[in-house]
Amino acid sequence: MKFIPRQPREGINVSDTHPLVEAGTLIVGLTAIFICIALLLIFLVEIALYFVPVEKEVAMFENWLPEDLVTVSPGDERLHQTQILVDRLAFHWADAPYEFRVEIDDSDIANAMALPGGLIIVTEGLLDQVESENELAFVLGHELGHFRNRDHLRALGRGIVLSLFFAATMSNDVSSISLSVTDLTLRGFSRKQESRADEFGLALVYTHYGHVNEASRLFEKWDDDDSTMLDVVSYTSTHPDAGDRVESLKEQALREGWPVEGVITELKW
Amino acid sequence: MDSGFLQTLEAILNFGLPIFLLLLAYFVGTMLERRHFRSIRNRESEFAQFPVVTFDTMPADWTATSSTLVTGSVVVSLDYFKRVIAGLRAIVGGRIKTYEPLLDRARREAMLRMIEEARRDGYDAVFNVRLETSRLANSSGEGKRTAGVEMLAFGTAVKFTSRFARTS
Repeated sequence: MKFIPRQPREGINVSDTHPLVEAGTLIVGLTAIFICIALLLIFLVEIALYFVPVEKEVAMFENWLPEDLVTVSPGDERLHQTQILVDRLAFHWADAPYEFRVEIDDSDIANAMALPGGLIIVTEGLLDQVESENELAFVLGHELGHFRNRDHLRALGRGIVLSLFFAATMSNDVSSISLSVTDLTLRGFSRKQESRADEFGLALVYTHYGHVNEASRLFEKWDDDDSTMLDVVSYTSTHPDAGDRVESLKEQALREGWPVEGVITELKW
Repeated sequence: MDSGFLQTLEAILNFGLPIFLLLLAYFVGTMLERRHFRSIRNRESEFAQFPVVTFDTMPADWTATSSTLVTGSVVVSLDYFKRVIAGLRAIVGGRIKTYEPLLDRARREAMLRMIEEARRDGYDAVFNVRLETSRLANSSGEGKRTAGVEMLAFGTAVKFTSRFARTS
């Protein structure tokens, strides 16, 4: 048998596709798929909301508290006063189906949350930052707006969607990418919900005090801090840009003819 | 608290860093791969005259004076770019195109190392050549992750009675 020297042939075992083309195809294609699935799941969450009436929700989450919550003592004056303020605001929401409970979370990050069953959480950090009752009332009114629109359940649904995606892509490095994509899509919806809750909150504040003075002061403060923020970040955030929120609140007050001047109510602690 | 700065930082960490790592891995990985393929092609043409066959018995017209086992082994791992793209590919399935050149390099390099071993010890040809792979488990993730792959080429190297024995 004759031995014929020959070198290995190329182009059979290795694909000709340029790695960047492969990367681009996969990233664009999968992003599209992920966004479609996320939209579909959001749609399903909306449908599910019809089947969980408020009464059922209240019954399910009665006396429920998140496990990682660090509450202050039940005798805390701020807790007492915040609860009173919520009750007074809720009075103006005539057919409120919830009995709102307030808890203070021992966290330095200024935040407030609406949780299932009518639970409102405000953080120590937020209470440290507010300087008047009007400021606090708007934040609480905003959370009440979430309850009215049932955004708190949508947020729960979003959490489930994200954990589903996390579970599906858990075993590889892509989890971060697909999660970011899904998260970004969901955050777009979240920003719209925040704006709607803002509107409801401002209406409550006006009904209660007869003016909207200092309602948006917290955001004005944050907007000054945000001067270093890149524009692109506001598209990736769950909440609208603080400056934009101040603007739309001002527009709303102007449109409705609500006075922007008025007596400020001091905090009662 | 400067929340704007924190959010900017978060955005950079969430999106900028992975993209930067991906591009870095792509450029470095591509450069190294090109260099490796160049070296492989050079050595393949250098060794082209050296008979390497897969027959499991020695061809009848070879007359050997001595024989030995020769091996060539390569351990390869992925770069971050290949890993991420392959991870995306694994979701929908199909040819993992970023792994193919990697394993092609490993196969050919293992063969070349086997031939180099045979030539260094003065052998004239190798028959019964086989290729084996095994996965190296990564200690993290309970050994379920892959640290790399070993490609092993082995065969029986023989010395001919005369330099021209095989050209009958």
